[in-house]
Amino acid sequence: MNLKISALEYVQQVQNGTISAEDFVSTTLDRIKSVDDKLHAFLSVNDDAVNQAKEIDKKIKSGDKVGACFGMPISIKDNMCIKNSTTTCASKMLENFVAPYDATVISKLKQQDAIFIGKANMDEFAMGLTTEFSAYGPSKNPWNTEYIPGGSSGGSAVSVSAFECIASLGSDTGGSVRNPASFCGNVGYKPTYGLISRFGLISYANSIEQIGPLTRTVKDTAFLLNLITGLDPNDNTTVDNHNEDYLGEIEAGIEGKKIGIIKEMIAEGTDPAVMSATKDAISKLESLGATCEEVSLDMVKYSVAAYYTITATEAGSNLARYDNLRYGYDFPVEGYEFNSYIEKARKKFGPEVTRRMILGGFVPSAGQAGKYFLKALKVKSKLTKEIDEAFKKFDLLIAPTVPILPFKIGEKIDDPVSLFLVDINTVTANLTGKPAISVPYAVSNGLPIGIQLLANSMNDKMLLQAAYALEQTVKLPEVPL
Amino acid sequence: MVTEEEIQKVAKLMKIEVTDHKEYVDKVHAMIDYFDILDSAGVEDEEIATQEISISNLRNDEYIPFDEKLIEKLNHYKGTYVRAPKMS
Repeated sequence: MNLKISALEYVQQVQNGTISAEDFVSTTLDRIKSVDDKLHAFLSVNDDAVNQAKEIDKKIKSGDKVGACFGMPISIKDNMCIKNSTTTCASKMLENFVAPYDATVISKLKQQDAIFIGKANMDEFAMGLTTEFSAYGPSKNPWNTEYIPGGSSGGSAVSVSAFECIASLGSDTGGSVRNPASFCGNVGYKPTYGLISRFGLISYANSIEQIGPLTRTVKDTAFLLNLITGLDPNDNTTVDNHNEDYLGEIEAGIEGKKIGIIKEMIAEGTDPAVMSATKDAISKLESLGATCEEVSLDMVKYSVAAYYTITATEAGSNLARYDNLRYGYDFPVEGYEFNSYIEKARKKFGPEVTRRMILGGFVPSAGQAGKYFLKALKVKSKLTKEIDEAFKKFDLLIAPTVPILPFKIGEKIDDPVSLFLVDINTVTANLTGKPAISVPYAVSNGLPIGIQLLANSMNDKMLLQAAYALEQTVKLPEVPL
Repeated sequence: MVTEEEIQKVAKLMKIEVTDHKEYVDKVHAMIDYFDILDSAGVEDEEIATQEISISNLRNDEYIPFDEKLIEKLNHYKGTYVRAPKMS
């Protein structure tokens, strides 16, 4: 059984009877058993997956209507609720939390006969970009297990890259889908804000975060977007995409498109290998008929500070609900005074979450809000104006997804500001609500490099067409696992 | 310049007990120091953009039956009440 196939190949092979859902899912579970001790992509695995696959095979044999996924094994970042399954957010605080309902993306994929093969590891409450902040231990990069896989959707990226599933859903607050996709050699997609419902996604920073797919190919991303996008009455920030078909015309090409190279994202500090890959990608796009020229987004310099100020503020509010009374673990209330109880209960938060909660209390507080939070919102507004202005001239923007190569586990964990700056090229899409994609483009010293393309809001289809065109120009080596 | 006392006061208000000084106060201090870069962004005159959602776009405020007793999913409850520690 070949697990190294794309989602579209899987659908085709199950449809034409070359493979069965049961065999594929069963082999996938064997693969997880054989490699996940080393990689730690999963926090939990669906023990009922084979039975679910058998049911789908039965439907296929009896000629019943089968959903578009045909039993495709998909991993889900452990901050999305699947009814009656543990949803920990990689936190000890939610160690035993069993979700009472399905997230909208889960309901939609269930209707399409997807199989959720397991819940993927992540940084605790999605706060981090390495998965080192998971309370259950880090995931490892399948290209070199001494290195971080990126984050916070690190488990998702690892599971796709190491053939432990066909695709995954992650969430992207400041690059948390694109960063691990870049570091693990996957396609990672952050849609236009509102394109995918956040209902059932455990909140971190609601105003900018989005669920997004991680896949092996751009076409697979388009396939999944067709299934999970659209209006949701349970999330009134969703936007109507009029059932856009993202897969149709994906091979349209990019001839005549104007692409802006974001100057501030290829600045000093960019790794030479990343810079070289970016220049090469630009040349390839030009050879396909696009015209590329530099564009300046001055506010990018301040975007990381604005991003962390805004997200910490929203996190401080969102995480206030974890008082061990409404959500929490088994810790009795008897013998405690209220405040000391909450303080003790919150000791279950890991260090990064605790730090960001303190930050989230500080930056919007009386006397500090003008200096930090309000200024961050103003940077966000100005950055949005700058990028909107850029999109009057350009169809797309380009930059490396991450300015550096994956680094070793533990290398930056004690330097929070150095970690912050890894996000410099990804937070702009979140702060401005624009769609962005990371396309695996090169490998240097055995580690992948992703190239990021951005488009204007609701131009997701054009963005996927450009990403597909770029993807066709390269063939990366296989993961050495 | 943010002081250690300010950070510790906020932590207390957030009901977070700071025990490891290096892990929390020093690192939060470094983060806040980095945020000072916002002072040079020159955005004082910028207006903050807000996202407006028309009230007509909100879903109807209606009762939707749920087939399980949510309160039973809590660790501490009695009858229909959440059990909490005593307020001093």
